[in-house]
Amino acid sequence: MRSQRIGRLGLALAILAAVGLPALAARADETCNSPYIAKLIKGQEDYVYVWALGVEGLGDGSDKLVTVDVNPKSKTYGTVLGSVSVGTRGEAHHMGLTDDRRFIWAGGLAEPKIYVFDIASDPARPKLVRTVADMAERTGYLGPHTYYALPGRMLVQALSNTRDKGGVTGMALYNNTGEFLASYAMPTDGGGDGYGYDLAVNPKKNVLLTSSFTGYANYMRPLGELVKDAEAMKKFGNTMVLWDLKAMKPRKVFAVPGAPLEIRWSPRAGDDWAITAAALTSKLWLVRQEQGEWQAREVGTIGDPARIPLPVDISITRDGRGLWVNTFMDGTTRYFDLSRPEAPKATYSKVTGKQVNMISQSWDGKRVYITSSLLASWDKTGADNEQFVRGFKWDGKDLTQVFEVDFTKEKLGRAHHMKLGARSLKSS
Amino acid sequence: VRRAAATALLAWLAAAPARAHEPALPPLGFEPPAPGTYTLHRIMRAPAGEVLDLQGRARPLTDFTHGRITVLGLVYTTCVDPEGCPLTLPVFEAIRTAVGERPHLRPHVRLVSLSFDPERDTPAAMRAYAGRRAQPHTSGVPWYFLTARSTRAARPLLDGFGQDARSVVLREGGGTRREISHILKVFLIDQDGYIREIYSSTSLHSRTVLNDIETLVAAR
Repeated sequence: MRSQRIGRLGLALAILAAVGLPALAARADETCNSPYIAKLIKGQEDYVYVWALGVEGLGDGSDKLVTVDVNPKSKTYGTVLGSVSVGTRGEAHHMGLTDDRRFIWAGGLAEPKIYVFDIASDPARPKLVRTVADMAERTGYLGPHTYYALPGRMLVQALSNTRDKGGVTGMALYNNTGEFLASYAMPTDGGGDGYGYDLAVNPKKNVLLTSSFTGYANYMRPLGELVKDAEAMKKFGNTMVLWDLKAMKPRKVFAVPGAPLEIRWSPRAGDDWAITAAALTSKLWLVRQEQGEWQAREVGTIGDPARIPLPVDISITRDGRGLWVNTFMDGTTRYFDLSRPEAPKATYSKVTGKQVNMISQSWDGKRVYITSSLLASWDKTGADNEQFVRGFKWDGKDLTQVFEVDFTKEKLGRAHHMKLGARSLKSS
Repeated sequence: VRRAAATALLAWLAAAPARAHEPALPPLGFEPPAPGTYTLHRIMRAPAGEVLDLQGRARPLTDFTHGRITVLGLVYTTCVDPEGCPLTLPVFEAIRTAVGERPHLRPHVRLVSLSFDPERDTPAAMRAYAGRRAQPHTSGVPWYFLTARSTRAARPLLDGFGQDARSVVLREGGGTRREISHILKVFLIDQDGYIREIYSSTSLHSRTVLNDIETLVAAR
């Protein structure tokens, strides 16, 4: 069974290498935040914060947090208000809000550092206020990926480790001031592969779900080189793990082949299911209880898996009845009807870029934001290497682009993860 | 809807003394791990500072965060969000009742409701809010109601707890109403003054708090 999975995965990556470049994904959205974040922006957001990878020779070449004005009533709508450089280039990737929404934690996959930005003192002008640099020393983990708010704490899922830079990794728990509290290894027994990617919590059921990708040794390598390495090709995640949230102990390992990435619990009251997309198999998976037992089931297909569209990010609507899916290779944004989560139905698709990665939506679902970059060494090249954040209107039938910020022209780098901001969230 | 829910909750609270032994809250949606089978980390130290008791006397907050296991809720008395401050009252009532039924816990636990709206929540306002809850209880578990001398005096306490609070003015029925935008936080503090758990509206339940208290007591 495992060798079959590895075989499919290897084939998928080989095809990707042949046709272009592959992908990763990310966490975003007003509808996809930690349930412990109470101050959701339910009206018009004012800002989109974009965590951008530095590009050598472009601007200062460093990773930076970019603030874009997205309020249509503003005179500077659709333009960059400012950026905060961290002074290094560490494969900037994902961000997360603290539970009080006063800070953004952000990091890169090439270093065990976490940057903390104050977005409350002046939401239009974030400030870098702290760097948490002890994760490797404390845990041995490398490549912090997901930053998930718990009350007064941040749970950080890493992708790799400093020992062999493979995919066996774990989670680190910090308090909101950046003091290390504990670490939790991803299970390597009971069917676990030890890999990590995303995490998401359902507090009403006391469960934490994690997914799995691959380690530094793979995600930092050029793809063409990677796919020729048979041993490296075996080292991708094929599991999800259900944890007892309170005890932070694994309860069950699910076989989910093909690198399951983003995890979204339905925000709808009374729903207790989560959905994820497996990048390399292009499948949607549903996790829910059946006769009291948690199960993971394949429930849908994204595009034509034979063409490896590579789903890289998903965004669930606030009522849990719709799901946006971005597929990197074909630059397509797709919408699935989740009225029956056990049978998602594709109802819309549109090419929104030559390469697309992250997708975030406003709370009311009327505005959708899309960025372009996956990883520095995995993005497309030449004219296909568009780097942008694009804003769209969604009227329930069609996406209409309303602005674009060209990150290359603005000398900002590769646009990756997004979080929304509002002037009204300024601290008193 | 929130107004209606708040009204229903307040009505429930008014009738609470007559239903002291009834289940106070909806059932927990899961079976929590047994006490002592998990770790409650030292998240951070509870802050120190000056507070006012119901008689308006200045007291160090450490008097209420050391020596016993403390369940401390940061609240303001005019909050109407049913998932906010009002939620602490039935949960604290249930905790007090449950601890009272466990003699090995009784001497080790206290409850604290600390206002972060001292301009409106004067000691007199806190007395009205507390009612009979502040009086000695058959459970033997004290419940203290505290406020601060001023907003300025409360600020370092809020910062120390990591509690955000922002004043907002809402227009309603031709008038205005001031509310404090915040997320509910209730703190479990050990006998040495370390915060060991933080509950939000999605995780605050008397059963889990009780298990956490048992876990701390067993670890002594």
